[in-house]
Amino acid sequence: MGSSAEVIRPGSPSEATSAYGDGAGAAVLAGGTLLVPDLHFGRARPERVIMLGDAGLSYVTRSNGTVTIGATTPVDALVGESSPLGPCAASIGDNEIRAQATVGGNLCAPAGFGDLQGPLLALGATARSAGAGGERSESLEDFLTDRSGRLLLDVTYAEPAAGAFASLGRPHAHHYTVMAVSGVRTVDGATQLAVVGAGTVGSRLRSAEALAGDAEAAGDAAGDAVNPSDDPLASGWYRTRTLPALVKQVLSELEASA
Amino acid sequence: MKAVGARLPRYDGVGHATGRTVYVDDVRVNRMLHVKALRSPYHHAAIKRLDTSRAEQMPGVAAVVTHADVPLLVYGHLSALGIPADEPLLASEDVRYKGQPIAVVAAEDTDAAQAAVDAIDIEFEELPALFDMRKAFDDDAPQIHHWGPIYPHFEGEMNVRQIRKGNIDEAFEQADKIIQGVYRPAAIEQMPLETQVGLSVPEPDGRFTIYSCTQALYFSMGVVAAHLQQPLNKFKFVGGTVGGGFGGKVDTATETLCTLLAQKSGRPVKWRWTREEEFLCSSTRAPWHMEIIDAVSNDGWILGRKMLTLHDAGGYARFSPYGVTKHSFHHTGAYTIPNLHFDGYVVFTNRVPTSAMRGYGVTSVSFAVETHMSRIAEELGVDPFELRLKNANRIGDTSPNGITYTDPSTVDVLHALAGATDTELAAPYSDTTREMRHGEWLPEHLVGQLGDPEDH
Amino acid sequence: MNIIVNGNNRTVESPPLTPLLHVLREELDVLSPKAGCENGGCGACTVLIDGAPRRSCLTAVGSVPDAEVTTVEGLGAPETMSDVQQAFVHYCAAQCGFCTPGMIIAATAYLEGGGSADRVEISEALAGHVCRCTGYLKILDAVAAARDGGFDLSTTAESPHTTVLT
Ligand SMILES: Cc1cc2nc3c(=O)[nH]c(=O)nc-3n(C[C@H](O)[C@H](O)[C@H](O)COP(=O)(O)OP(=O)(O)OC[C@H]3O[C@@H](n4cnc5c(N)ncnc54)[C@H](O)[C@@H]3O)c2cc1C
Ligand code: FES
Ligand code: FES
Repeated sequence: MGSSAEVIRPGSPSEATSAYGDGAGAAVLAGGTLLVPDLHFGRARPERVIMLGDAGLSYVTRSNGTVTIGATTPVDALVGESSPLGPCAASIGDNEIRAQATVGGNLCAPAGFGDLQGPLLALGATARSAGAGGERSESLEDFLTDRSGRLLLDVTYAEPAAGAFASLGRPHAHHYTVMAVSGVRTVDGATQLAVVGAGTVGSRLRSAEALAGDAEAAGDAAGDAVNPSDDPLASGWYRTRTLPALVKQVLSELEASA
Repeated sequence: MKAVGARLPRYDGVGHATGRTVYVDDVRVNRMLHVKALRSPYHHAAIKRLDTSRAEQMPGVAAVVTHADVPLLVYGHLSALGIPADEPLLASEDVRYKGQPIAVVAAEDTDAAQAAVDAIDIEFEELPALFDMRKAFDDDAPQIHHWGPIYPHFEGEMNVRQIRKGNIDEAFEQADKIIQGVYRPAAIEQMPLETQVGLSVPEPDGRFTIYSCTQALYFSMGVVAAHLQQPLNKFKFVGGTVGGGFGGKVDTATETLCTLLAQKSGRPVKWRWTREEEFLCSSTRAPWHMEIIDAVSNDGWILGRKMLTLHDAGGYARFSPYGVTKHSFHHTGAYTIPNLHFDGYVVFTNRVPTSAMRGYGVTSVSFAVETHMSRIAEELGVDPFELRLKNANRIGDTSPNGITYTDPSTVDVLHALAGATDTELAAPYSDTTREMRHGEWLPEHLVGQLGDPEDH
Repeated sequence: MNIIVNGNNRTVESPPLTPLLHVLREELDVLSPKAGCENGGCGACTVLIDGAPRRSCLTAVGSVPDAEVTTVEGLGAPETMSDVQQAFVHYCAAQCGFCTPGMIIAATAYLEGGGSADRVEISEALAGHVCRCTGYLKILDAVAAARDGGFDLSTTAESPHTTVLT
């Protein structure tokens, strides 16, 4: 078995952007932890595959309290970051997967993966991407709403004053996250919350954020705001009832670290 | 006695640790073909049309085999014991589980084989499917098996595995309490790390050398020979290196079809299942439904047990009757109960056929019995160790099928468990032995069941 | 393209998107990496790529040109087994052996990276590796003891596995 797609290896971000063009018929190969077997078994049949390994998109830069993470930065490079990003990165797969998997691949992964969406949404990250119409920067939230035809270049966020992360169960490295909540207290004192596992992509929990002072009410509001469906990991019923507990846990951790 | 009790190195340890062990998928022969199967996309359907002519013309295709190519289509692992078989090697008229093989293609590589499988012209008529064996007895249950909803060939022509021992009615009349429970363990995939794999090499003398990952080499040999209607000496089996089995490699999965394809193409044929096929199409441990009703005395003796077992066979019987028979022999667990009334059924559903897994038929009942013992202890308010030690199998006690125990280990295991959990046992339970019952350990209801261990 | 497999320069003809696992097994006849799942879930295909453990089924060969690939064949032959290999033999840490090549590769990388004999840390390091036979305890024992070396392979170890992981 195997893919006979044309293989392109850009040597810089700008080469990557022009090779990607409008993205038609293209698949981006970053770490490959999802795409390589998909290509092998014919579950993905792109016309061209853009290998990002040498595209110069692996970096973490910091200036004036702002952090920028390149799309091909491996997940394990984030393990030492503060909560919620670091603990979330540490909970992904196992050490071999974390070393190979990239941040961009994670954010662009199909439903069921994409754990890093949670902390980066809570951090209010900005996504810089290329594609039809050229390069653009937008909130990660907007980017995730419709990322087709976009090549993610990097994400940027402001370092928070405090952060917290709560994830449902980790009995074994081979679990995929059932549900996880990330929380951030910004330097301005605002509370930002996001969840993965309550829909096909991660989402902000705005109604809960508005009630952040009352953990109980915030948890209930979060539960009311989502309508998750069943999948092999857990039923929607179970997820709906789990979410308030995770929200409460994150809010109390934020409170404790403030 | 150089070996018994000695710490001998594993004969295959060095091969494993240096990557030199040759598993079936590691065997290399020239001009090898690769296999893909057309499998049922439906849980239950009638096959209306099957035409492989276009697939046969596809590039790289060397052979296509359907039910029409199999000399003896229906044969089972228990056939050699005279037990009727029900499962065709390849589906012909209907499919009874999702993933059931209908046709196999051998081609130069797996891509070519898959393309040919996709080119097979087939038409199904989907039929209602049954997944919950408790519904098999309903009047409006889907009809899925030509034998009816349950296996009808215990002891030739009984549709139930029965055990009757002692006097069950008397036990229930004498009972202080009746304690019941329902236990329903689910299906489990054995999941060996090596998926099903076989390689059949046609030799110049007309024989076949078959590399097999089977756990049961002589079973497989007999099954291949029977389906091909050839004498056993036509087949040289090379086995023994199994990348894990756990019961999942007792059923012959690949060898027969590889050999039919090798015969038709004249070339070596290898078939390795993907992990997806292994999960979705290979046999699993069965789901069971067990109802236990016990007659007990207030001081913790189990006087009698009524038990109903439903065993989910999936679409075909395979080893299920054997599993239920073994289950019935063990339905008192590690304990002695003199009065028994057991009914066990093998029920057909549209799940993948179920088969052996570690303690076939017995793990299910062990789970049920131990859970039930704890339930009895709780309901009677007696210590769970004491309840178990009282009823523990001892020398001279008899099993549900009337075997006299000569070497039972229940008492020793319970004492070891108490030790390991720092549980202080009160006298006389701290001194219970496995010796023949007498005195306080031989209440009236157990007198009649005692056997003579010397007769064994 | 070329890759270096166990010290030998090998030319690769397979298309660049072919998983390294299949290049090794089907093109180069390097058979110790096993196709347990081909989807990243079992660890049986793990090899060292430039010294780091990687799932070869998730690695397109075209993404590792000129890489140095080490498989368990390259760690030691029967006469020249490494300490980790010897420990696996001595502790009977290989039962059916199908997970063993990946386990030994990961354990070797762990110990070379300065990993300790702490069983919780070892189990984290081996977390991506499924073993259906051993129940893992003998594997943890073998890795914990591997650094000691000097195993008597005419006999087997009394397993010290008293630690119950939580
Ligand atoms: C054993 C195992 C365990 C795992 N555990 C987890 C887990 O716990 N949590 C989790 O979230 N995931 C998990 N995954 C899934 C996956 O490994 C991660 O999501 C990983 O981060 C994906 O990144 P990658 O670079 O390998 O992606 P790739 O496979 O390279 O790509 C994944 C998808 O994203 C697209 N893509 C990649 N980069 C970009 C980009 N820059 N711009 C646009 N599109 C892009 C690709 O085209 C592809 O569709 C696991 C996978 C395995 C095999
Ligand atoms: S075969 Fe690569 S992880 Fe299973
Ligand atoms: S030894 Fe068989 S899977 Fe590990």
